[in-house]
Amino acid sequence: MSDRPTHSAGAFSLGGVEAHASRSLPRLLLPIAAVGAGLALLPLWLGHSRVLMGVAVLGLAYVCYTIAFNVIFGSTGQLFLCVGALAGIGGYGGAILADSAGWPIAASILAATLAATLTGGLLSFVAVRRSLGVIFTGIITLIFSLSFDALVLGLGELTGGDTGRLITSGAGTLLRDKIPPYYLMLALALLFLLVHGLLRRSHVGWAFRALRDDEVAAELAGVDVARYRVYAALVGAAMLGLAGSTYAFTEGRISPTTFGFGEVDIVVLVMLGFGGIGALFGPIVGAVTFTIVDEILIDFGQLRHVAYGMLIILLFLRLPRGAIPTLAGLWQRRRRPKG
Amino acid sequence: MALLELDQVHKHFGGLAAVNGVNVRADDGEILAIVGPNGAGKSTLLKLIVGLETPTRGAIRFAGQEITQAPPHRVRQMGIAMVQQTPRHFASMTALENVALGALFGRAGAHRQEEQALELAGEALSFVGLADRRHDLVGHLNLHEQRFLELARAIAGGPRLLALDEVMAGLNDTELEASIAIIRAIRDQFNMTIIWVEHVMKAVMSLAERVVVLDFGTILTEGLPAEVMRHPAVVKAYLGQEMNHA
Repeated sequence: MSDRPTHSAGAFSLGGVEAHASRSLPRLLLPIAAVGAGLALLPLWLGHSRVLMGVAVLGLAYVCYTIAFNVIFGSTGQLFLCVGALAGIGGYGGAILADSAGWPIAASILAATLAATLTGGLLSFVAVRRSLGVIFTGIITLIFSLSFDALVLGLGELTGGDTGRLITSGAGTLLRDKIPPYYLMLALALLFLLVHGLLRRSHVGWAFRALRDDEVAAELAGVDVARYRVYAALVGAAMLGLAGSTYAFTEGRISPTTFGFGEVDIVVLVMLGFGGIGALFGPIVGAVTFTIVDEILIDFGQLRHVAYGMLIILLFLRLPRGAIPTLAGLWQRRRRPKG
Repeated sequence: MALLELDQVHKHFGGLAAVNGVNVRADDGEILAIVGPNGAGKSTLLKLIVGLETPTRGAIRFAGQEITQAPPHRVRQMGIAMVQQTPRHFASMTALENVALGALFGRAGAHRQEEQALELAGEALSFVGLADRRHDLVGHLNLHEQRFLELARAIAGGPRLLALDEVMAGLNDTELEASIAIIRAIRDQFNMTIIWVEHVMKAVMSLAERVVVLDFGTILTEGLPAEVMRHPAVVKAYLGQEMNHA
């Protein structure tokens, strides 16, 4: 027994403190505040143009969608190919409740967000109960997405069908002004970042990391993988419902393309793949970059989607961690002194 | 008193009976080895205990509670931890974080704070001799160290029973001695019950207090290591060749 390793708890308390300090709250809040401050200045540059501010608001909606997708897919590996559909439940649900049922806008947004949350949670629950892997989760959510598109077209009287519908609630208010919608969507994006950041710092974040790395090992370590997957889906779907609904009211009109699979899901996949799957600020980098790229390529119309499709294949094959984390890793390796 | 009881446990994969009506009990603080030839159902038995497989028939009780249908995380939180032959770790985490995860989630109702879990993880790493590797990513550890890391994660949650699946396979003599010393220390220091599937008979003879021999999913014999090893059928059919090598 003389070779038995001995306890030395004191020597390890330092290790714990070091690791804990690196996850301190200011280290989370400061970058979010810096991102917020940077983006808050944008209207000073683009504020003269209603069109460009509209593009910026759409860009922030994509930031919100991408953060939500990052919570679901980046954190727990659930390939939810129904980002647009869940945001659409928020958008269409809010519009119908406010305009057709006469509900106040805030109540409509809340109810539509709740509907999206429950739908996302249910999809995850089914996938978890059936032990569906990434691919089959992708397939059932894609089918849901296509069904949602069909439902929007089928319920033409409520949704406006192919041509979409105008949203009269909120007309003439700050929601339709040139600048305020931008700050509203920015506030949502920062709130989502904060929520995701806080989740990552908590027990939930530990569970997310563990199950993303190896779900069998996570289960054996005591992590209820199924429960945390459903948690992630509920949080992500709530974000999608809230962002989709809020965006719809600021835009004043919605159509199948507002929340279409090609227009939202594909783009969000590219944005997250580029920014870095699982990285907290990956959605910001990806969404801002591709909103600018999309605006530059707008004259190419539907051909842009071909480019996006090829980019997804390239990103997943060559840069599975995402372009930004890969480049950052290369940069760090170059800067590290040799020997 | 029996901490763990398997009562007429069966596990069928299609037409194959991997475990066929097995009754096993492990007492508090006991080191119980399960041996037998390849395909005898040893590893399946451990998977049934920790919830990675569900019995086709029969019952498993731990500390008086039925755990027959419990999922792995629930079994872990109730106090049964497992170390596998091929270690499974969290590649994005350091050694310290890997073990801290076991301290955070490994025990129901513990509600440990992150800082406390990291401190416990440091102690567990020190216990298995990996103190100086705590900030390394798992990929930088060799197989022997990875097994010790999994052992550290298992004990960090404070289980009452440790299920070990061929953790001595492929070790050289020095590593084998170190592993035996650590497993004995775990039992002595924490009064942990250990159920241990193993092929390395030298280690079994040195460490086990009782041995169960499985063959074709059924128990061939059980008893003290020296008695079991002298059992003619065991020597002839399953262990003779390996004992000669040991």
